[in-house]
Amino acid sequence: MLPDQEAKIEGSALPVKTREQLRTYLEGKEITSSQFDQILNRVIDEYQKTRIEACEAVGIIAAQSIGEPGTQMTMRTFHYAGVAEINVTLGLPRLIEIMDARKEPSTPTMTIYLEPDYLGDRDRAREVSWQIEAAPLHEFGDITTDMENMQIVVHLNTAVCEKRKILPAAIIEAAPRKIRERRHYRDFEFETDGKSPTIIFMPKNRESYQNLFQLAEHVKNVIVQGIDDIERVVVRKESGEYILYTEGSNLKDVFDVEGVDTTRTRTNNISEISQILGIEAARNAIINEALSTLSEQGILVDVRHIMLVADMMCMEGEVKQIGRHGIAGEKESVLSRAAFEVTVNHLLDAAVANEVDELSGVTENVIVGQPIQLGTGDVKLIAKPLKSGES
Amino acid sequence: MTESYTRYERARIIGARALQISMGAPLLIRTTKIDPLEIALEEFQHNIIPITVKRK
Repeated sequence: MLPDQEAKIEGSALPVKTREQLRTYLEGKEITSSQFDQILNRVIDEYQKTRIEACEAVGIIAAQSIGEPGTQMTMRTFHYAGVAEINVTLGLPRLIEIMDARKEPSTPTMTIYLEPDYLGDRDRAREVSWQIEAAPLHEFGDITTDMENMQIVVHLNTAVCEKRKILPAAIIEAAPRKIRERRHYRDFEFETDGKSPTIIFMPKNRESYQNLFQLAEHVKNVIVQGIDDIERVVVRKESGEYILYTEGSNLKDVFDVEGVDTTRTRTNNISEISQILGIEAARNAIINEALSTLSEQGILVDVRHIMLVADMMCMEGEVKQIGRHGIAGEKESVLSRAAFEVTVNHLLDAAVANEVDELSGVTENVIVGQPIQLGTGDVKLIAKPLKSGES
Repeated sequence: MTESYTRYERARIIGARALQISMGAPLLIRTTKIDPLEIALEEFQHNIIPITVKRK
């Protein structure tokens, strides 16, 4: 391709992807420069035709375009034994979850991709998974409750420790600390001899067996390796690389694990993404999640409708839900809010607070019976002087 | 104006002009048509309607 043609494509008002497609299409083709101009103009014309006209009611169209196919969704696809026995909420419940901007999805999951050094080898992938999957103490050895001496004896199995790439000393250090910090149980003491991989736990109050059993429960279940929120990790091979699927999500801690490819790893917890990666990442997550939830059910919705919804949700710099506690509930206009839900309360509060309605939105103007700022209602006419010599 | 009108702007311009014609405004073209809306449409096609839009 000639440099001036290249410059013309680059300077045209086309989206990046269309420019890319045009380039690959023209690659290696013999065309004259007038033919090139013709092609470019046709492409620009076609692109202009796909654009939305000014004053179009895009919100209504988006609502209908997502709403109508939404009626086709199965209402009760609650759980679906999907990828490797990990439960993921799908279908309508998941879509509602996304739009409601819940703090925590009902089934948080992560898809963890690995760095080049780890992704090809099953054993190395497993190594990473040990670092991530929450493992309770009882998986690392025998725990016996010695009722005679009022103590709990933990014998660590060094073979297991070796297999899971963790030093017994690290477990001995972590176990009592985690019981205190994570499980908020402090009424115990512990002893180690420093040589054998053994810890002895004793309740502070040795009057009753209840304390002993309570402590035993904590000792058994304390997480000594991995990330607390991640209950299960499944390693799967997909298109030539090992990928970790998790039940539970903790983006921040997973990013700290060695071998994790932070650029591709993803979670379905949108509010977590917005906190850790920022609002733009959250916007993309909303788009991806909503689109994949819909297409999973065989429903094809144009991305632009979903992008509009995602933009509205993220506009204020934080993820806001659609509905009472988010976009609809925090509108500027009193009448608009009152038209949505709990009418009387909104009107009463507005009256008490001496609120003023600017009548700038659509809903307010419909209510008072004025032309709305949409379509022909948003066009302002002015006189154009007649051309001299005509008529 | 290099940019063309959107469909809403077209509708608004033709509508306004049709109203003027129906109320007896002098025509800007020679036509056999009777319906003011059709006359307005014809005038619009000839691009002689003395109305344009104000864009923000």
